[in-house]
Amino acid sequence: MVTFIQELVNSLSVASVIILMGIGVTLIFGLTGIINFAHGEFLMLGGIGVWVLVSNGLGYIPALLISVALVGLLGFLLERGLFQFTLLRPNNGFMASLGLSIVLQHVVIRIWNSFSKSIPEPLPGVWEIGQIRFIKMRVVVVVVTAIVVAVTFFTISRSRYGLALRASLADRQTAALMGIPIRRYITVIFAYGSAIAGLGGALTIALFPITPFVGSEMIMLGFAVSLIAGLGNVAGVVGAGLILGLVNGMSGAYGTPEWTNAYSFGLMIVILIFRPQGLFGGTMGPAIE
Amino acid sequence: MEAQWGQPLNKDSHSAVAVALDAAERHGADGESTRGFKPSWELAAVAALIVIGVLALPWLKPGYRTLSFALTTGVTAIVLYGMAIPFGQAGIMSLGYAGLMGFGAYTAAILSRDFGMNMWQAMPFSAIVAAVFAGLFGLPSLRISGHHFAITTYVMCELLRIVLTNGGKFTGAATGLDLPPIGTVLGINMDKLANAYLLVAVFMLASILVAYLIGRSSYGRTLRSIRENEQLARSVGINTNLHKVVAFMVSGLFAGVGGNLQAYNYRHISPDLYGGSISLNFALMVMLGGARTIFGPLTGAVIVTFLPEVMRIDPVDSRIAYGLALIAVIMLLPGGVIAVTERVYRRLTETVIATRRVGPSHAGSSSARGD
Repeated sequence: MVTFIQELVNSLSVASVIILMGIGVTLIFGLTGIINFAHGEFLMLGGIGVWVLVSNGLGYIPALLISVALVGLLGFLLERGLFQFTLLRPNNGFMASLGLSIVLQHVVIRIWNSFSKSIPEPLPGVWEIGQIRFIKMRVVVVVVTAIVVAVTFFTISRSRYGLALRASLADRQTAALMGIPIRRYITVIFAYGSAIAGLGGALTIALFPITPFVGSEMIMLGFAVSLIAGLGNVAGVVGAGLILGLVNGMSGAYGTPEWTNAYSFGLMIVILIFRPQGLFGGTMGPAIE
Repeated sequence: MEAQWGQPLNKDSHSAVAVALDAAERHGADGESTRGFKPSWELAAVAALIVIGVLALPWLKPGYRTLSFALTTGVTAIVLYGMAIPFGQAGIMSLGYAGLMGFGAYTAAILSRDFGMNMWQAMPFSAIVAAVFAGLFGLPSLRISGHHFAITTYVMCELLRIVLTNGGKFTGAATGLDLPPIGTVLGINMDKLANAYLLVAVFMLASILVAYLIGRSSYGRTLRSIRENEQLARSVGINTNLHKVVAFMVSGLFAGVGGNLQAYNYRHISPDLYGGSISLNFALMVMLGGARTIFGPLTGAVIVTFLPEVMRIDPVDSRIAYGLALIAVIMLLPGGVIAVTERVYRRLTETVIATRRVGPSHAGSSSARGD
């Protein structure tokens, strides 16, 4: 039982990173229709950014903030310079993002190398409650994720901007006629989603070493989470992220780690077939086919 | 310039742009043809050139490396022409084709190992197994559409790769399986690369022909009706569900044959050849060339296979250049290389006709207008 609870606790931090990935995907794919396969690369860049800054003597927290800001800026530039031209041709955006993913990966390999990179633990130590051990950094990751989720959720579901955003999702044309600056919203959402992916990477590298190829694996988990939850459903991403995090943790703990992704993917296929709108209800993406 | 809250819409606002683009899209402003492949003497001429070029390649002394790249391109193109049936005609993008090719390849390898079958005996089995799984991969399309479906098929492909990797002795796990050589066909020794290439080339040309005939047939028209308006198609009595699955199964036949040929030509197959990233590459090729044009998939396969080879630089630099080139082509030539080439050609010929009609004295002005 103790082992089980311990695994549960450990799964939470993995789930957190998956959730951060999923929020970006669900916002960008679900609300703007852009399918960005390079989203995983944003996570990787967030981690690499922290690694570079920390290796150059910066503290973890300033490194994290700078890295997240830079990834957000990169997202902004890419939306303005590339993805805004593909809004009406999502297939082309999708292909361009594949090219982008190759470019970002190999630029990192070109500048540094393809080996895995790690930083010294920013917050070493554990808290013990009863027999359960809480690794401090993992707790921080979970708390930060919870804050990001809460802010995102309330912005979208409660604020005036969230309302306008959801209106433009329901009917882009009418929303535009009401004077909602849709293009600007798309840019902001894209930059925000990218920054959150960057945050995911910056937090990941505090827990595990990362390689320049981490993005390609994470993006699939991001898609899986957001589709299982229901596209555009931020709260659902949390539920789905916890499920996948648990699947990850449990299959690792109970002996079949080589099948981990198979469980996640199988789950996603089954859920999509029986509930195409996702487990917690979402959209089928904005109405631009 | 930006429309503010509650402010009336002006012509330059971003929202107005969005509305206009939305409306333009609805009227098919991308200029892609919604018809099937239209026969013309130009098409026949290009087809003849391609047939001659493809078959004559070994006599041009291309060198071993180029020829083996050409062979890979041929095998890939067979799969791409299958993929272009549901994608180009019915408008459903599936990212499962590397996996389907894998079914063909592993069927060939396992039949050879356990039953001693050769390439020809195994080929029908490869094709049928791949077709059955293509139908299964396509089944979710009855419930899920668009990019949801594409991602689902990608994930299926990844699942297959995991299963193959963990399949133990039966699938050879991560190392994969070995195959015997093709041997002789009609008294021709296939151990010689040029001959093996020609065999693949013949299969590839045949698959182009079959894809063309399907596009020309009334069945192709049925599939296009699904692409253009599925509800309308259903309302006039077309069983869209059945046709979707059948289209996938037909495309699976291509993938199975392609997988079989690949297995026997590489003589060693492993799970990594059939993962999701390979599928993405296939999708890239089809879209790059243009799924709705008859020579699009071939063009895409040639470009993507040979582009990194042509840019002979450091492998990492070459990947960066490849990614950038890809983005550039997609952004500058939407609708595929072939569609754009066709448009340019049409415009040029129209200019020539206009010049003739107007006469030499007005030639300058009319060609200037015609770009």
